[in-house]
Amino acid sequence: MSRSATEPAAVPAADGSIHRDDAPSPIRTWTLWTLRRVGMAVLTLWLISLLVFTATHLLGDPAEAILGRSATPERLAALRSELGLDQSAVHQYFSWLGGVLTGDFGTSLATKGPVSTLIGGKILNSAVLVAVSAVIIAPLSALVALYSARRRDRAVDHVIQVALLGTAALPEFVIGILLVTLFSTVVFTWLPSVAVSWAGSPWTDPVVMILPVATLTLAVVPYVARILRASLIEVLESDYVEMARLKGVPERRAVARHALGNAVVPAIQVMALQLAWLAGGVVVVESLFLYPGIGTALVDAVRNRDVPVIQALALLIAAVYVVVNLIADVLTILVTPKLRTGVR
Amino acid sequence: MSDSVSPPGDDVRVRSRGLSRRGVLRGGALLAGAVPAAGLLSACSRPTVAASNGKPRRGGTLRVGVSGGSAKDSLDPHSPLTYPDQSRVVNLFEPLFTHDADYRIRPLLAESLESSKDGKTWVVKLRKGIEFHNGKTLDANDVIATLRRVVDPKAPTAGAGSLEMLDAQGLKRENATTVRIPLKTPYALFEDLLAQYTLGIIPEDFDLKHPVGTGPFSYQSFKPGDRSTFRRFDGYWRRPAYLDEVVILDFADDTAKINALLSRQLDAIDNLPPAYIDMIKNQGGQVLISKTGSWNPITMRVDTAPFDDVRVRQAFRLIVDRPQMVDQALGGQGRVGNDMYAPLDVAYASQLPQRHQDLGRARSLLKAAGHENLSVELVTSSGIGAGSIEAAQLFAHQAKGAGVKVDVRITDAATFYGDRYLSWPLAQDYWITRNYVPQVDSGSLKSSPYNETHWNDPEFNSLMARARREFDADKRKELLQAAQKIEYDRGGHIVWGFKNQVDAYAANVTGFTPNANLPLSNYEFRNVSVSD
Repeated sequence: MSRSATEPAAVPAADGSIHRDDAPSPIRTWTLWTLRRVGMAVLTLWLISLLVFTATHLLGDPAEAILGRSATPERLAALRSELGLDQSAVHQYFSWLGGVLTGDFGTSLATKGPVSTLIGGKILNSAVLVAVSAVIIAPLSALVALYSARRRDRAVDHVIQVALLGTAALPEFVIGILLVTLFSTVVFTWLPSVAVSWAGSPWTDPVVMILPVATLTLAVVPYVARILRASLIEVLESDYVEMARLKGVPERRAVARHALGNAVVPAIQVMALQLAWLAGGVVVVESLFLYPGIGTALVDAVRNRDVPVIQALALLIAAVYVVVNLIADVLTILVTPKLRTGVR
Repeated sequence: MSDSVSPPGDDVRVRSRGLSRRGVLRGGALLAGAVPAAGLLSACSRPTVAASNGKPRRGGTLRVGVSGGSAKDSLDPHSPLTYPDQSRVVNLFEPLFTHDADYRIRPLLAESLESSKDGKTWVVKLRKGIEFHNGKTLDANDVIATLRRVVDPKAPTAGAGSLEMLDAQGLKRENATTVRIPLKTPYALFEDLLAQYTLGIIPEDFDLKHPVGTGPFSYQSFKPGDRSTFRRFDGYWRRPAYLDEVVILDFADDTAKINALLSRQLDAIDNLPPAYIDMIKNQGGQVLISKTGSWNPITMRVDTAPFDDVRVRQAFRLIVDRPQMVDQALGGQGRVGNDMYAPLDVAYASQLPQRHQDLGRARSLLKAAGHENLSVELVTSSGIGAGSIEAAQLFAHQAKGAGVKVDVRITDAATFYGDRYLSWPLAQDYWITRNYVPQVDSGSLKSSPYNETHWNDPEFNSLMARARREFDADKRKELLQAAQKIEYDRGGHIVWGFKNQVDAYAANVTGFTPNANLPLSNYEFRNVSVSD
């Protein structure tokens, strides 16, 4: 994923020079930049669609994979024509892309029904899981970072840093396995180990959400907290906070008024990265907890060689990446006065 | 006859743990070490639930975790492909005959089966007063409709292959409980075919959206790849089930399944990897071990060099250290094989001497065949079932002792079962429990759909053709044992072992007993009860 965090800084005036009188209007520059940024996002998505299509085609012949042991030449031929595999690759790509643009992701090979019906509910389940996790991750990371930054280089800060680094080093499935071992199977049996709810959707049964959310939270908080702490320390040591202190502004207010605002940009960027990661990381965590979301759907589809579903989910996860990054960049511009005015 | 109903690998038509077993997406392999290790950490032993006093309690729900399943799941009574599919059909539907826990054939919906002198016409008599879930009484017409659906040329089912000799047009209703079944060719063991679990009897007006059968549980709900629920059928013709309800949950992942049993979210799980047996017992669970006839042979193509020389095949059969294979590839959960299949058949040739590893003799056989320093490729895949890759690698290691270099080539299921399936010179395959004749029909004749070894032996063929027409059980046994002797002497399978079925269930569950058929006592939940 190309991150264009530096992009806004490269917004030049029309002729590259900076003269107060013929400087372009901020609104126009801003609109131009946004259009270009959105154009880039669309281009990226289109390239991804090509990549997804090519990759799924390289998986080999889905007809053969689907029929497996019962493949006979007649059945293979029938299935290939049913799947449109007898058309040229270019034709297949454009008919698929045309469908995607109209919201039609084709027919699942496994269920013989529309892909959208198969994955619609699962997308919702995953969205809930990611949203709940994000709502916990953001304030928790901020609190940890602030607590640490205010006590930097003291013993408690070192302990927190080691803990964060240690947790960050563990892959998310290891975190999940440790949590399950601790809370639901071996040591205690307090919590369900799989997100199987007897009520219907897992999120109507909050207790089954605890471990998946905790796993995602523990996987993400260390990154966010460490980056936030670093930028907070930078801000706390900056001239203007020092000036505020010299002027006699109470420490608490100095931090709140002057420091936090300037630490927001890196916070947005790192949160965006992590949110985008969640879209993919959720696959592993869902598989571990049998959570009925896009992760389990993707694993299922890969096993069944359900190409249309694989394509739809891969595209969806990529789209989340691209859109989240786009939003982060726009927000960055909005909260950075220097960039907002389009004048350096 | 589809046989790929059972390997718990990522056979594309079946279930799969392939992804997780290869550790692509998650740390299954790592976990295998991690969980028992964590078990050592727990100093506190948990109190176990008091087992019931042996008297089944009526009521309650059984939550069963069944391996595999996906969005492709189906409730079709005649095409169950995966474990969850099987666990559903055997509780909803019942065939005319069945295989009991020891794999003996017993009448179920049928009372009797008589054949004409020439073996071409069979008359089946049905039990009286059997009701379907919708209250309809079982009639001869339902049996006819069922058989016609199974062999329908427009939509052949999994069971169609084994009924090729059936003359579906000639089926005739004699009266409410009598059906005349004509065959195109004589078949002495027709009863065995009618005992396949893929031949559940359905009413004439069967509708897949609301599947109705005669089984001990009736359909309630079904979400493919997720779960299905069933309710006790109080009008069942034998003693009804104890349980009020059964919930079957699909588990693509072993780890999640075992965790769910340990965290008490499930009452029973099928296909427990043998490595976890001790851990489950330590955590207060119960383990069910059943002897089966399922086998994971190494297959040698008898029409392709070097295996077209019988001495090379004999040498390879002497290379394999069978006890070590069972110990390592099956985690000790199995028994040694003797290069013949269908061990639960009454006609199994158990009197033939057990083969042992003899590397010296293997070397001299290879030398005589002009194949000293032989180098071969053994094709394997996780799609052929748990333990296949381990078995292949272990065989390669054992072969070094006879101066044979075996390159193990690990393929994914799609490749293994792709174009070259059934034509690999040296590979493996997976077969479930069957009696000898149906097994030969599936894999050891020129006409068989899955003849991996390209076995086509004239003497063997004529013995089988005679056995198929022989109605005297003793004479038939003689013929079948002569056929087995031929395979024992010069066949293309290395049958090094038979796998035990291992399942697990919670302390408060009773009624699961060892069974040679499908996992978890053939998924027969009628005899299972849960105490509080």
